[in-house]
Amino acid sequence: MSSEYDSQIPSSTVAYFFREAMRRIWVSKRTSFVAVAMIAISMLIVGFFLLLSENLSRAAEQAQGKSRVDIYLIADAMPAQITAVDRYLASHPDLARRRFVSRDEALRRFVSYFANLNGVVSQLDTNPFPPSFECDIAPQTMQTAPFLREVKELRGIAGVDDVQFDWEWVRRLKRVVNIVNIAGIVAGAVLALAAAFTIANVIRLTMMLYREEIDIMRLVGATERTIRGPFLVEGFLQGTLGALFAVALLFGSFEAARTWIAPANSLIWSFLFNGFLPWQKIGVLVAGGMLAGTLGSWLSVRESGEEAT
Amino acid sequence: MIHFYHVTKRFDAYSTALHDVTFHIEKGEFVFLTGPSGAGKSTLLKLILRQMNPTEGQIVVNGRNLNAMKRRHLPHFRREIGMVFQEFKLIERMTIFENLSFILTVIGLNAKEHKKKAYTALRAVGLQHKMNYYPLQLSGGEQQRVAIARALINDPLMLIADEPTGNLDPDLAQDVLEIFNSANLRGSTVLVATHDRDLIQRSNRRVVALDHGRILEEKIAAAEKPPPRSESVFVNWSS
Repeated sequence: MSSEYDSQIPSSTVAYFFREAMRRIWVSKRTSFVAVAMIAISMLIVGFFLLLSENLSRAAEQAQGKSRVDIYLIADAMPAQITAVDRYLASHPDLARRRFVSRDEALRRFVSYFANLNGVVSQLDTNPFPPSFECDIAPQTMQTAPFLREVKELRGIAGVDDVQFDWEWVRRLKRVVNIVNIAGIVAGAVLALAAAFTIANVIRLTMMLYREEIDIMRLVGATERTIRGPFLVEGFLQGTLGALFAVALLFGSFEAARTWIAPANSLIWSFLFNGFLPWQKIGVLVAGGMLAGTLGSWLSVRESGEEAT
Repeated sequence: MIHFYHVTKRFDAYSTALHDVTFHIEKGEFVFLTGPSGAGKSTLLKLILRQMNPTEGQIVVNGRNLNAMKRRHLPHFRREIGMVFQEFKLIERMTIFENLSFILTVIGLNAKEHKKKAYTALRAVGLQHKMNYYPLQLSGGEQQRVAIARALINDPLMLIADEPTGNLDPDLAQDVLEIFNSANLRGSTVLVATHDRDLIQRSNRRVVALDHGRILEEKIAAAEKPPPRSESVFVNWSS
């Protein structure tokens, strides 16, 4: 005879859980479909936010990887003032990788970048672009106190009009990523809960369908664990299926949009269609579906356990 | 093995199924529980299986006080009892073999043992050739025999049957009695609730008679024909 309180579930029992769960899903195809679809929609929306945040994060990282400081001089800066700024930059390792951009070169760049505005440029009496220095710096440098001090010092040097660097922009982008992440988490949590309750109701219906069988199981000595196991596995499988459908749908939509919607040379689109989710995040999405499904079935089997005698 | 001490089961103020019932069934005994419909037989069996709790009194089964038993101990307690239900309680979507195998699965027995045990149990009731049939493809009597096979499959310490011969003709009823006798000889304590006077008469076993929820003191009947293992309450159905 088995021990008084078995702590191990035999492998044959686990196999029975899965066999029964799959059979019940098959028997109640329509209600199972509703549960799976609900999980799939929830995970699809969560996945959309994850994908958006992933691509924006990548864009921020790329921008951060190409960090640059622009030191704009006054339009009529004297050669001595330009040399003083150059000496300052040369003496500070963070800013030493510098390039001087003359007024003429700045105008040439503008004309080449915005060819359609050539007419406007040709009407100008004078060159409106100031001379500047461009410094390539390490992304991590931007966040340090010494760097910010150097920027402050630069702004105080005679002939310097303004100092601009990408960090603010990157910071704003990261803030957007955070908002997208929070929105994704909130929407995901709400939708996953809704999906869990749908699954709970589906499992409750299944349990009503199998009420007689459950009674027989109790009377012949089945433990609550054995009775509840197939229902828990049923929710788990529905959640897993829903999440897998969501991932497949998300991937298909993403690839289709990248191929058919996003123009190849658009900067904005290239940010948004940088790449699909990494495996870890796909894993999180699938795990979320599994968890929502299992939570739903656990909610209904817990109630049934409370009713049992 | 089964001890009732002043057990009363009341469903509401106007409906009392058992009144102050005290009786004892010792290990290895074969006892018939009899009485008219509504006498309280099924309630008594449900109390033994702890499908319900008594309103008053104590029930001790195999050394366990059922009133004090925790719910988590219930499955292991019920595995010691082979129960034959009046309405069979077979699962219609499963074959006969699956009905038996299912019990072994839910009590956690290794799948390898299922086939052998199920076949042996079905052979004991003469239905091994119908193991792939579904319950609704069998007659009432055959379904009853499957229910008996299921009750016996795990060699229970106690075999409890509620009207096990209600759907059987006399010959089959005798066969069922033989199965119960055989289980009793193998060491199971047997308690059979039945209306079947012939069956009781043929078996020559101890009888506990209930009427209106009380155990009858059939002293006269007992004096006319005392059963061989007389102890408390007896009924002689030939009178």
